[in-house]
Amino acid sequence: MAEKGISKDLIGTKLDRYEFDVERGKIREFCQAIGETNPIYFDVEAAKKAGYEDVPAPPTFPTVIQFWGYPKIWQDMENMGVDISRILHLKEKYTYLKTLYPGRVSSQGECVNVTVGKMDTMTFKTTIRNAKGEVVLEVEMAIFIRKPGQ
Amino acid sequence: MSKIEFDKLEVGQELPPLKTEAVTHANLVRYAGASGDFNPIHNDPDFARKTGLDGTIAHGMFVMAQIGRLCTNWADQKQIKEFGVTFKAMTKPGQKLTCTGKVKRKKEENGEKLLVVAVEAADDSGEVKASGELVVVC
Repeated sequence: MAEKGISKDLIGTKLDRYEFDVERGKIREFCQAIGETNPIYFDVEAAKKAGYEDVPAPPTFPTVIQFWGYPKIWQDMENMGVDISRILHLKEKYTYLKTLYPGRVSSQGECVNVTVGKMDTMTFKTTIRNAKGEVVLEVEMAIFIRKPGQ
Repeated sequence: MSKIEFDKLEVGQELPPLKTEAVTHANLVRYAGASGDFNPIHNDPDFARKTGLDGTIAHGMFVMAQIGRLCTNWADQKQIKEFGVTFKAMTKPGQKLTCTGKVKRKKEENGEKLLVVAVEAADDSGEVKASGELVVVC
């Protein structure tokens, strides 16, 4: 098998735009999976009482949008030369501009940085917009690709 | 998760910690389904070993989600402006996590009163799995 590898030429590569429906049931499922029990995430009335329009998506929910909304990311990374069996998550950062509620969102990611050498890393920046086209949040995700022995 | 008030908090103040039960394979399978992250290093021990790991490891985002619970147990989610972590070490099934936070800075920026909180998750031996920052608008 040919040695895989990434290069700085990938900086600026845009991934496909995609849409995803944030659903109350998916928020509930995600909250159950992380051990969250606050009723604002499960019950619309409780959420409204606490000052929300609907059940909000919890802070790390955007990962659901990315993996369920864009499963092609694995293929894209393979195509970019990433050995996906050796990926580890390095960083994740969210900037929240609006509360994320159930409804359709659209999203697009872009490779914004690559380092090659002692540590091979890639950073993607993704912007998630609501149905009105307003930016709800920005995501910065960095991965590193383990070398043999790491 | 009551609204955090700028004037009532001081630098150095700690958030009420959040402790988890030991992470199980079942937790990770469930998290894989909920999040959509089916990377087999998190759910297939044979696959994980083939890539040079001792066995399956928790999703970094599962660990970040626990720190997220620490944050939303403390602050009203609407106040959270930024939340980011760097993953430092792998979390393995059987390990328990303790998530902690401490107010690091208070600042005013563009008319907003902001609290910068250092957050982290560590196991019982004190190994830090992830650490980062939470920024809350007051």
